[in-house]
Amino acid sequence: MKSYLLWLPLFLLPLVVHDNVVLTVLVFSFILGILAVSFNLIFGFAGQLSLFHAAAFGLSAYATYLSMVHWSIPFWLGMVVGVVFVALVSVVIGAICFRFKLKEFYFAIVTLAFSEIARLVILNWNSFTNGSLGINFTVTPTLWVPGHGVIPVQGTVMWYYLTLVAVVLTVIVCSRIVHSWMGRCFASIRLNDELADTLGINVFRYKLISFVVGNAGAAVAGSLYAFYISFIDPDYLSINQSLAIIAMALLGGRSSVAAPVVGAFVLTALPHVINVNAEARLLIYGLILILTILLMPRGLVGSLMRLRRAA
Amino acid sequence: MKITVGLRKVLFCALGAVACAGVASAQNVVKIGEIEAQTGALNTYGWMSSQGMRMAVAEINKAGGFEVGGKKYTLQLINPDTQGNPQQALIDLKKMLEQDKVKYVFGPFLTNVFKGIEGYARQHNGQFLLMGGATQIHYELGKKGNDYLMRTWNWDAGASGFGTLMVDYLKQKGVKKVAMLMQNDAFGHVAADIYSKLFKQAGIEFQENWFAPGTKDYSAVLAKIAAWQPDYLFPGYSDAVLYDIVQQATQLGLTKFWLVRGSLGPALKNKNYIDDYVAYIPKYFEDAQKTEPKVKQFIADYKKFYKTDKFPYDQAPLCSSSCYDHVFMLVEAFKRAGTVDDVAKVRQALESFTYDGLWKTRYDKTGEEVINFDIVDVKRGGKITVTHESPK
Amino acid sequence: MLQLVVGQLLNGVIVGTLYAIIALGVTLTFGITGIVNFALGAFMMLGAYITWYLTDGIGIPYPLAVPLAVLCVALLGLAVDQALFRFTRNNLINGLIVSIGLISVLVAIVLMIWTTTPQSMHYVLPGIFRIGGVIVPKMKAVVFIVLLLVILLTYASLTRTWAGRAAYAYAQNPEAAALMGVRTGVLQAGVAAYSTALAGLGGALYASLYSIAPEIGASYILKGVEAAILAGIGSVVGSLVGGIIIGVAEGVGSIFLPSAYNDAYGLVFLVLILLFKPAGLFGSKS
Repeated sequence: MKSYLLWLPLFLLPLVVHDNVVLTVLVFSFILGILAVSFNLIFGFAGQLSLFHAAAFGLSAYATYLSMVHWSIPFWLGMVVGVVFVALVSVVIGAICFRFKLKEFYFAIVTLAFSEIARLVILNWNSFTNGSLGINFTVTPTLWVPGHGVIPVQGTVMWYYLTLVAVVLTVIVCSRIVHSWMGRCFASIRLNDELADTLGINVFRYKLISFVVGNAGAAVAGSLYAFYISFIDPDYLSINQSLAIIAMALLGGRSSVAAPVVGAFVLTALPHVINVNAEARLLIYGLILILTILLMPRGLVGSLMRLRRAA
Repeated sequence: MKITVGLRKVLFCALGAVACAGVASAQNVVKIGEIEAQTGALNTYGWMSSQGMRMAVAEINKAGGFEVGGKKYTLQLINPDTQGNPQQALIDLKKMLEQDKVKYVFGPFLTNVFKGIEGYARQHNGQFLLMGGATQIHYELGKKGNDYLMRTWNWDAGASGFGTLMVDYLKQKGVKKVAMLMQNDAFGHVAADIYSKLFKQAGIEFQENWFAPGTKDYSAVLAKIAAWQPDYLFPGYSDAVLYDIVQQATQLGLTKFWLVRGSLGPALKNKNYIDDYVAYIPKYFEDAQKTEPKVKQFIADYKKFYKTDKFPYDQAPLCSSSCYDHVFMLVEAFKRAGTVDDVAKVRQALESFTYDGLWKTRYDKTGEEVINFDIVDVKRGGKITVTHESPK
Repeated sequence: MLQLVVGQLLNGVIVGTLYAIIALGVTLTFGITGIVNFALGAFMMLGAYITWYLTDGIGIPYPLAVPLAVLCVALLGLAVDQALFRFTRNNLINGLIVSIGLISVLVAIVLMIWTTTPQSMHYVLPGIFRIGGVIVPKMKAVVFIVLLLVILLTYASLTRTWAGRAAYAYAQNPEAAALMGVRTGVLQAGVAAYSTALAGLGGALYASLYSIAPEIGASYILKGVEAAILAGIGSVVGSLVGGIIIGVAEGVGSIFLPSAYNDAYGLVFLVLILLFKPAGLFGSKS
């Protein structure tokens, strides 16, 4: 429990740092951090390489906004609709994949196929989703704050705290799961799911749970991201987004619950820190990915931990 | 526990780097920003703009800068690459406006990027100017709270719209049926929206067909189109798709093309297979370099600046939007307004004159650019006729 | 209508062989080194650029430029394999991420040398064959024949030569093959280089059909991976059939259904086949 206290500096940061750019980078990092942490529950802990994560992120963004517009419900209810919708979709897709025992790369490609199909539906269902033009929104989420009543979520500082709380909650939920008996089932499935099966672990059930819970996390991230940037388009569901999520999880480190947040932060900040021309930046981005895998297979956090232990 | 100590270290190092990246500024420097995709799948438009922007800034500074209100100024260009990603563009714009205190930002050309930054940009209405080519900007011009917005590209429809003229040009040829084959993306839908109306007004039958961005083999959809027997094909909007569509269409017997964005490259390459290729080209550089000294000079300067013997004739027409001329025009507006800080006055000045550069550029009263342009008609064998148009 | 369908059937088969050559590279690399090299698409793009540069830039005749380009790409593939992929053998995820990083690097290099402007090579063999009402461009027919020959020759050499059988044996049972005297390191490097050579060949032929841009690799590697998986990874003939199934599904699909969904038709096939045969059409495992 003590380790949660170490998030404290981040809660105090806006008191010291007033720079809107730095805070914006952090807001994006937190939201993408939720995405990466929840992905890592499926990938790092249960051992299933899902490429459906960007789709869960995007589907929820659309579901949240469209339910708000069509049913005139507030943002938080819309988010619930988004999460429930994504969870239902995940149950169906997960059940299909795990019932048919699709493993490793086969699982990855089938989830990618479902993700692409979801993207194409959003892209081409013009009357409902406005297709490739995307949707701009003017609605702002509201929040009840003690002492202030119900106020709109506006300004970077408020978004900062909202998303920080969201990422901390995600980390807490995920580490609760990982450190419970369920987490041990995940680990045994990751290490050898045939052995897990003979030991009496219901492999189908736990794979499905990790897939649904992970995607629900992505759904939360999707709603927040959409309303922070006030714009959604089918690119939310693109393959590149899924690959970026994998990169965040690996760069941060796949063996700890919170580490992917670091990966999300580094990849969000990187394009704005390296001040070179576009081609060189692409080159550097590629080299960072390659070198992380080859030299720091445990990710940034894992490597730093090892260094500390060695020192 | 140990994790988070490590995490904090990384955080603070990187935070420091973010914060430091935007310091350092000299006196009497006017900073101008640019938000364009220089790499990525949709970079064709942003790339040429950023090339011209760099040249213009270097030329102005090399000549010793410019004088406004008795003070000498030089320009500093800040042009990060958005890669067409709204999130990166938003952070870039925040950095420009809040850290670098930039007041004049060129771009974006991409609709999704514009939509991603629009909410934030509106909050800074009155504090800066955003001068971009995105079609979506047209719909926002003149609205309340949008004084920050100007559009640096001719509008398709309307009285001085090039699209209207282009459709008229086709009507004069007695065309009855046009089939569109368009990228299924943001601009594709905007184009379909504009041109389906224009063709309807002109009494020309119009059919929409879509393809997924990244498609290379169009034979299936082209075969379907050929069965409908259109007089002209209205294909995509960038060279990346035009080369393939034109080649594959001619193989299937579709030999007449009409387009509003894209270069002549595909026509010239397939000159023995096409019958007619009508294109809106903001400037036909191959021709203009012979008759216009300014264009000749620009091409020579470009080669020298980028140390290359190849001039991008295909893409140079895109310099009509947020590119080379626009920097000079902005400097001229500074001089006329007598200020580099008061954006409202600078905007007024921008709208008050016609700048005579590579193009004759002016802004209409909503802040949308009006430039002279060419309609280029290529016939089989490569014979080219150019019609110069100067919209009112 | 029949004409349209037959035409697209034929075109789908031809386009499919282009997917198949990438699928073959994916299958071979995966079978022998245990990773899926997503950068094969980027190697294909590189093959296309080098071919274009050799012909239109330097003036080497196309039939000579193709083997030169293939050689360049294969050497680069070998170098990359020794420098990077040697350390990710049998680690699917790490290999995947390294290959994604490599895509950025290769695209960046191409952007630096040739910029973002799309390029279009001169026509090597213009003109069309007209068979009944069906139109087939001459160059497409040539590309089809070359690719088909290469795939069949690969199959033959895998089953008929010592090195090929060693590779087959290794894919079935690495330890046993090693005990039988198969030199693992050499075999893996050889297969990695051969796979990139195939991608390079795909690119070199591609340049004669379509325009080239730094992004072209992305969709081809996806189609290639789809084809390999659909057929059942590890099967040479399967990758040919897989590629053709996807090509035909796209071509014929776009006649009857909206062409905007083009990419989905192959994917739907993929999912359906995997659900009924989880190891793919030609896969051996149940």
